[in-house]
Amino acid sequence: MQTILNFLIKHNHWFLFILLEGISFMLIVRFNNYQGAAFFTAANSAVGGLYSAISDVDSYFGLQQENSTLLAHNKELTQEVALLRAQIAELKNREALLTDTVVQNIGPGYRFHTATIVSGSSNTANNYFVIDKGRSDSISSEMGVFNSEGVVGIIYQSSTHYSLVLPLLNSKSRTSCKVRGDNTSSILQWDGNDVRYSHLVDLPRHTRIAKGDTVVTSGHSAIFPEGIPVGIIDKIEDSADGMFYRARVELFTNFATLSSVFIVTKEGYEEQKELERTITKE
Amino acid sequence: MTATYLIKLRDFVLFALVQVLIFAHIHLFDYATACVALIFLLKLPRHTSRNELLIWGFLMGLATDIFGSTPGMNAAAFTAVAFVRNTLLENFIPKGFADDIIPGISTIKTGRYLSYTSICTFLFYTVLYLLELFTIHYPLPLLIGAASSTLLTMLFVIIAEFFTRK
Repeated sequence: MQTILNFLIKHNHWFLFILLEGISFMLIVRFNNYQGAAFFTAANSAVGGLYSAISDVDSYFGLQQENSTLLAHNKELTQEVALLRAQIAELKNREALLTDTVVQNIGPGYRFHTATIVSGSSNTANNYFVIDKGRSDSISSEMGVFNSEGVVGIIYQSSTHYSLVLPLLNSKSRTSCKVRGDNTSSILQWDGNDVRYSHLVDLPRHTRIAKGDTVVTSGHSAIFPEGIPVGIIDKIEDSADGMFYRARVELFTNFATLSSVFIVTKEGYEEQKELERTITKE
Repeated sequence: MTATYLIKLRDFVLFALVQVLIFAHIHLFDYATACVALIFLLKLPRHTSRNELLIWGFLMGLATDIFGSTPGMNAAAFTAVAFVRNTLLENFIPKGFADDIIPGISTIKTGRYLSYTSICTFLFYTVLYLLELFTIHYPLPLLIGAASSTLLTMLFVIIAEFFTRK
């Protein structure tokens, strides 16, 4: 301490020098226009530069919080985009349903829903699809599924928000069909080989059919209304026992590119099923 | 002691008046000016303390500034010279000289005295012109101004020696 004081006392002329030069400098920048302007311009730009340097450094310390804010914001926006996409898809489906010519030709007494395929397969012997509608959307089993091309399949099981679709390309699938212009109904069944073809297996021999005839739903099973296109007869041959014709049908529906579908149900079908169940019990 | 200060004060007023009334109006070739007020500072006795030199220098600069409407510039230059005067002077005084000598041709010989005064004067003008231009981007005009003013002032430093009391 003593050393420092001695040092300060010994060099006191330094302080006087700095004081007097300081006073002179203040006088210069205060009372001389040119020097004052030059000094304050330089000082202002120096202070401005200092401030911007400080804020540059400062902004780095806020980056952590900034980042988490942005992440949260990003999450919200992503969710919003997903929601909007879903809404757009839903609206598109409804629009497709309203403008679909097949739907327009179906008579009254049927209700329609739209759905989107969320997963599924079309290359195994027992294919299935999952759609994004379930019991909460009043979808239940044994409803018909089709799209603007043609028949897709039927609802096999429903959970709250999803349903399992048994497509035509499943060996368990049995769909009642007929040849357009002829009222004889027949069962459409898939042999598990080629995804482009299915077969009408029990066409009575008196049926007048030819290659190129259009196959549509018969409307007898009450799952599908009458007249939804299924495919075109491609080849006619005898069944194994020779009692029926077996017709190969080229399907209209392209199952590989399937994305949105319509679901159809007959009004009062639940009641009809209930009644049929009582017969089965007896 | 008081008498010494009174004599210094008289000299101060005298040099200040001569400076602001006569020499402040000399501008030779637009460059050279003369500062005889500096002679007052250079001729203060050897043992004058740094603090006293600083006070005298600052006041002399201030007086010059007030009449020359250049507030602070001469004061800063005078203070700078006053600060280094003693250190410089010691380099030009051989060993064994009295502590209270007044720097001059008669006391420390012509060569040493002129070296000492010219260095101080050049320093003074360098600081003054630096503050006047307020930039280091024009070193050539600064050097020309400082050199020519130093030459002119040195002329009066030599003349002043003839008036000094023996």
